[in-house]
Amino acid sequence: MIYYLLTPFAAIVLVVFQNTLADVLFSGWLPLELSLALVIYAGFRLDALQGAVFAFIVGFVFDCVSGAPPGLFAIIYLMIFIISFFVSMRFAAEKLLLIAVVGLACSLIESALVLAVYYFILKFENLSDMLFAFVLQALLVSFLSVGVFYVMHRMERFFNGGKREFPRRAAAGRISVQA
Amino acid sequence: MFFKNYRTVILICAAVVAALVVLTYSLKYGSETWAAKRLVLEAAASVQKFFNIPVDWTKNAWSRYVYLVGLEEDNHKLKQTVTELQERLVQGEEGRLEALRLKKLLELQDERQLNYVAARVIGKEQGAFSRSLWINKGSAHGFKPGMPVMVSQGLIGRITDVSWHNSKVMLLIDQSSNVDALVQRTRAQGIVRGAGARDCVMRYVSKTQDVREGDLVLTSGLSNIFPKGLLIGRVSHVERPNFGLFLQIHVAPFADFASVEEVMVATGALPQDLAGQKTAK
Repeated sequence: MIYYLLTPFAAIVLVVFQNTLADVLFSGWLPLELSLALVIYAGFRLDALQGAVFAFIVGFVFDCVSGAPPGLFAIIYLMIFIISFFVSMRFAAEKLLLIAVVGLACSLIESALVLAVYYFILKFENLSDMLFAFVLQALLVSFLSVGVFYVMHRMERFFNGGKREFPRRAAAGRISVQA
Repeated sequence: MFFKNYRTVILICAAVVAALVVLTYSLKYGSETWAAKRLVLEAAASVQKFFNIPVDWTKNAWSRYVYLVGLEEDNHKLKQTVTELQERLVQGEEGRLEALRLKKLLELQDERQLNYVAARVIGKEQGAFSRSLWINKGSAHGFKPGMPVMVSQGLIGRITDVSWHNSKVMLLIDQSSNVDALVQRTRAQGIVRGAGARDCVMRYVSKTQDVREGDLVLTSGLSNIFPKGLLIGRVSHVERPNFGLFLQIHVAPFADFASVEEVMVATGALPQDLAGQKTAK
């Protein structure tokens, strides 16, 4: 229960932190989506319900802070969580290359969905200018995902006395009832 | 039994449906008044203030004690500029007094009744599509969505979201920003829309109009959102496409959005409120 109570506060701190960092490092010309890397991590390591709640809340906070229509990033992050979750079932080994590829793919999916909503629903124009920024962002998320996984693995080991606990999930591609 | 077996799947599907409902509702009806959004903004602004402390400290230390290249040259230029501006100030003051006398003579009353409240910038949000600032005053200080926000160089945007003690300002360069504007020299009217990181674009100006690089662009006051005559920017490039009815005009805003630290918010009765009062009368 503590997890669910603390998640909104952690999400706010995370989103503000990544905005501040992006402003300091890139002066705002490139977003730094640590939140997306953490959603991918949640897909690999967390229980389905915990991860889905995390993805939804981080997405909603991101919507509120970024000025996107509320619900847009909530649903995108949920989809990315589900994709990562199924990828983690098929590929048990968390190799860094796999993580980098998943990060890249998820970021490109996110960009495509955002572009589609802004173009078809909000009727924005001149979106071709954004494509280069989105490709850069995808590469950045790919590197960030590797970094996030590395740091989180180290933290897991630190808190578990040198051992890593693997998520308890059904192996045959079906989401377990109670992890 | 079925719910027990597929509880997780059902709950995840419920979350997806909830997100879809939230998205659909916000797209259709807007989300300016949502309490959840106000709560998140209020909390995020507090966290932002906390993160700003080390960032500001480092920036100040860097710019004041380390990065001093060109300071002497800047100082020399500034002294020259001060001398020039003092001369202009005297001329401007003469012109202002003359304008006041003429205005009184013509009994032109300013209907806007705007007051200006200063606020400090506490954060920036620069996503792929959105360009906005957070300021440290909100509905408790009389701020409402739609109020114009300015700096000394001119208009920089308007308030879009308000929480109790913080507000969010959509900048002119945000792609959602639209401002009714006119070219000062020719009075050609159009709409200035944000174009992301680069600049703004002035739309719907007919190809028959004479617009040149360097022309000043001001608010026209037609939309009842922004008062008339606020500086927006300067025309940086004009294209006359072979097809279509309108010019493609690029406008460089006067304000340097990257270095805005304090802003002025025009409070009091908004033009649209006054229009409403008049209609009611």
